[in-house]
Parts: sequence; C-alpha cells; structure tokens
Amino acid sequence: MENLRIAPTNESPEIFFDYATHRLAIRGESYPENAMSFYAPVRASLADYLAVPAPGKAVEVTCSLRYFNSSSTKLLRALVSMLNAVTATRPVILRWFHDAEDDMMMEFGMDLRDEFRSMDVQVLAIG
Amino acid sequence: MNLGLFNNFCSQAAQSGILFYYTGEFSQNVIKVMGETVQQRMDAIGANGPARRKVFSAFVEMAQNILHYADTTPGDGATIGALAVGRTDDKYFVVCGNPVRLEHVARIREKLDPLRSMTLEEIKAAYRQQLRNDEHDQDVVSKGAGLGFLTLARESSEPIEYQIVHRSGDDTYAEFYLRAAI
Repeated sequence: MENLRIAPTNESPEIFFDYATHRLAIRGESYPENAMSFYAPVRASLADYLAVPAPGKAVEVTCSLRYFNSSSTKLLRALVSMLNAVTATRPVILRWFHDAEDDMMMEFGMDLRDEFRSMDVQVLAIG
Repeated sequence: MNLGLFNNFCSQAAQSGILFYYTGEFSQNVIKVMGETVQQRMDAIGANGPARRKVFSAFVEMAQNILHYADTTPGDGATIGALAVGRTDDKYFVVCGNPVRLEHVARIREKLDPLRSMTLEEIKAAYRQQLRNDEHDQDVVSKGAGLGFLTLARESSEPIEYQIVHRSGDDTYAEFYLRAAI
C-alpha cells in the first residue's frame, strides 16, 4: 500500500498516513471549503488500511489541530469511530493535542475519550 | 457617495467599534484573505489567545454560512453578504447579513430560536448529540453537519441574536442578520 501524504494549506491540515509503522498524523488547521471532499481520501485510505487484519498491531494516531470548523468536526469524529471499530483485535492509541488555552479543543478530545472507551485516548495540552 | 457621506460612514463604523468590515461576493479565496486580516487585527489590538480563537471561529462559521447558504442574486449569480468584526467595551462581536429566500426563513428560526434560551451546558449537550447523530447525513440542505449554529452558540458569551428583515415589495428574499458576542 502507498502511504497517504497530503500537504498542508492555510485552511486544511497536513495528513501523513504511514502504513508500515501504523501511524496516522493530522496537523494544522481544518476549515476547507468542502470538508467532505477533503476528508474523503483520508477515510478511504483508513478503510483500506483497516480492512487488512493485523491482530495485536497497535495503531497510533496523532491529532494536532490548531483550529477546525463545524463541517470538519463530524468528519474527524467519523475517522475516530472507524478506528474504534477495530479495537477488538488491535490496540488503538489516539493522542489528541490541544493548545493549553483552547477549552473547546480540549473538551472535544475529552468527549472522544468518554465516547470511545476501548481506545487509548490521551488528551494532551501544549504551550 | 460624496466624501462628506463617506466620512460619516467611516465615523459611524469607528464609533460602533468596527475593526473589520466587508461586503461583497463571498468565495473561499475571499474568506481566506479576510481570515488572515481578522487575525492580524486581533493581534494588533492585543487580543488574548482565547478571544482571538473564538472570534476567528465565529468569523469562519458565519463566512462559510454565507458561502454555502446565502441565496445567489438573480442578476449575476454571485453569493453576496456582509460581515463585520468589532469590539465594544470588554466584548468582541461578529455580525453578518445575507439575503435568504423566504421559504428558508422558517427553517432558520427553528434552528436559532431554541439555542437562544439554552444554557451553555445545554448547548454543549445539544452539540454532542448532533455530533453523534448520523441521521444528518440525509439532510441535503445543510453542509455544516448541523453544527454551525451550535458552534457559534458555544463560542458566544451571550445568546446569539438574529433578525429577519423583510424588504417592502420583495416577495422572494429577506435579509438575514446574525450576531455573536464573545
């Protein structure tokens, strides 16, 4: 499988999905004009990746967003929900970074932790 | 407009605490440049981190709301709206206006009226519920996952305000105005 790499712009995050090391990183800002079409390839590659069984292999996801808009919100949660679906066979670690002053970003991470309890969701303040 | 009138216009904007004002066509490119300008203005006046983030968030939600929902003008098909960011005393405000078709007015009221009487905790609960609600995928009108107004309400320190202004003799469009205080 080819790794997925999407370069960041002012309004969309950098995506790096490294299949060999089982790591997905999302970094930057997320308020693209059409969030659905921006996240479509990310969803597709995550679905392809998760379709290949890898029992016991941990998946590590790093999410480090400075800002995301309302239409990105549901798509980000959908990615986490897809990951949650494989926790019966493999561990999933989600590191959710947020600016120390950004309550909304912190609460979003804590909501993910409360909702997806079979994943290891770590809510981490930076700055 | 003569210079005297323009001077009045500028003075009124300054007295109202306007930091930034735009009216015209909305596109993603315009929003990008406006977003940078809003952030620079907030920096220039020494706004703190949380205020800066909340104002930017309210700005993006309103600007993208105009881009996605404002009804295009019959003449050239452009998406026209107005948006301002300002400061009064200890609060910031973000306001916007755009034409909406009369048949969409009821839908806007249904979404906004309940938010106005909710506490912050109730708004957060509604936000969580909407986030987990998969039914929304079938909603063909909404592009913001139904979270746009809820996000605005979460960022605001006061209930969000809106007005529908009917124009005499116009049975197709009304003006929709929205205000968030931060």
